[in-house]
Amino acid sequence: MSDAPLHSGAPAAIPERTHEVDRSGQPVFELRSISHSYGRNKVIFDVNLAVWPGEVVALVGDNGAGKSTLLKIFAGYQKPTSGTLRFMGKDVSFSSPAQARAIGIEAVYQDLAIVDQLSLWRNFFLGKEILHRVGPINVLDRTRMRREAQAAIMELGLTRVHTVEEPVLALSGGERQSVAITRAMHFGAKLLLLDEPTAALSVRETRNVLKSIERARSHGLGVLYIDHNMSHVLPVADRIVLLELGRVVRVIDRGEVSIEELQDLIARRTQALAV
Amino acid sequence: MTTGTSPNVTPAAVNAAPAGRRKSPAESLLGIRELAPGLGLIVVALFFTALTTNFWSPQTMTAITTVASTIAIVSIGVTMLMISGEFDLSVGQNFAFTPILWALLFVSNGMNEWVALVIALVVAGGVGVVNGLVTTSFGIPSFITTLGMFFVLEGVNNLLISGHQLIMFDPSLAMSVLGSRLGSTPFYAPLLWMFVFAIIFWFVLTRLRYGNWTFATGGRVGPAKAMGVPTKRVKLTNFVISSVLAGLAGCMQFAYIKGVTQGQGQNYELLAITSAVLGGTSLFGGMGTIWGSVIGAFLLATIQIGLVLVGVPGSFYVTFIGIMLVIVVIANVRLGRFGGNQA
Repeated sequence: MSDAPLHSGAPAAIPERTHEVDRSGQPVFELRSISHSYGRNKVIFDVNLAVWPGEVVALVGDNGAGKSTLLKIFAGYQKPTSGTLRFMGKDVSFSSPAQARAIGIEAVYQDLAIVDQLSLWRNFFLGKEILHRVGPINVLDRTRMRREAQAAIMELGLTRVHTVEEPVLALSGGERQSVAITRAMHFGAKLLLLDEPTAALSVRETRNVLKSIERARSHGLGVLYIDHNMSHVLPVADRIVLLELGRVVRVIDRGEVSIEELQDLIARRTQALAV
Repeated sequence: MTTGTSPNVTPAAVNAAPAGRRKSPAESLLGIRELAPGLGLIVVALFFTALTTNFWSPQTMTAITTVASTIAIVSIGVTMLMISGEFDLSVGQNFAFTPILWALLFVSNGMNEWVALVIALVVAGGVGVVNGLVTTSFGIPSFITTLGMFFVLEGVNNLLISGHQLIMFDPSLAMSVLGSRLGSTPFYAPLLWMFVFAIIFWFVLTRLRYGNWTFATGGRVGPAKAMGVPTKRVKLTNFVISSVLAGLAGCMQFAYIKGVTQGQGQNYELLAITSAVLGGTSLFGGMGTIWGSVIGAFLLATIQIGLVLVGVPGSFYVTFIGIMLVIVVIANVRLGRFGGNQA
């Protein structure tokens, strides 16, 4: 981890934000003393974590710190062994990702965002198709879905797909995620979950994905994301939550540390543990 | 709508087509997946027109359309299933099993023919349910599940009529509806039914949510699931569609020929897949069209009958089909029409 280049794909031109996150209201989502075990193997220890509307929270930590497990708990893939989940101020419990999705928690995975063979508009509305009644049957409202998808993706500036009619085979990894994030916003998601959204992306691609994250935040969504690259985390995160062996060891506010300090922090703690 | 953030979309194009860039005529034509097989069919037809004197005779038309229509109906179901990412090798046996069951019920046991037909088709649907449930719940390749079902049904067919032929000299009303001649034309009812089912499933595939889900399930099952598509249910339903259409097409064949043997529908599982592939359906799921498969079935039938007219031994036509199939798949892979599941 400490040998990794600090600036591989440093994003350019992410505008410095001035507004502060308003944490006086209800958080979008809150974990209260969450613990989780896989069998006899306890991996999450009494974690408290909240994401407010319009806030980007980055989960960082070394492999095995529990980032993915926490994300799975957020997304409804994993039911925590103990503790409570609160969504918009109400206790919730998910037995499937579909339930989490139904109340507005949208997980975007790089490799699960898009069905290559479908056209862009069919992808955009997949699972949430707009139907209209023709006689006794519900038929796809293709005109409306084309129009809405077109309007929504216009601002993304996709370079390899020009119409919503084209199959999305040609979309790059970053564009897929941007489309998926845009889709989540379009369907009224409250909380966006991103698992390493910038992994294996070029500089320009990374910038576009981070822009999409910015856009989601400015629309008032809460965003929780995992990223290994500290230079991607720092420009967009309002708070950085450092996990270690299943525990939250530090919460860093925006502007409190530099990339080098952050990188150092993770590396040093890991080394200390290894000794 | 602004164009400032997307420099690659020209303002003119956006204004001309609010739902996207307008395609040139050439692009639109190339985008039609049925174009290549359609051209192939025309070439083959011209070829036999030049080589024979009686290609367009009513007898030849009858022969081609009756062979093509039953294969096409089977292929429509198989295409739905292939687009959702699965195969059905049991359709050929089902093509014999269902009419045998129907005939045994109403000819030999005196049951009302319509009730018997419904029962036979429900049993055919049951075959699809078994294929689908075994495949989706155990997560094994449908190639294996339906190969197993192929042998199961072959055995059952043996058991039911053990080498005999069921003949119906006096066709019943249901048989007339399914297989009689259309007036004084050289065409028979199965051709009409083929168009009916082609239109129905073209509509289902392109205009209904279920069609969207079928493409998504076969395209990439992971994202489809993540977007809330019930992929297992979609596959199961398509297994049932495939089985029922195969059984129904078999009943039409029985009604047209007025007899059925256990050998009916031999090779049809492979011919149905071949029709679909010739028509542009991907072997890997996620892509395909109903009309392409219909054209593919006509391509097979035209070659089969045309070669007979030319004087080539009838059973030799499969050799041509085999060679053509491989060439078409190579061409499709080269042209990248099979999608992103491979290099």
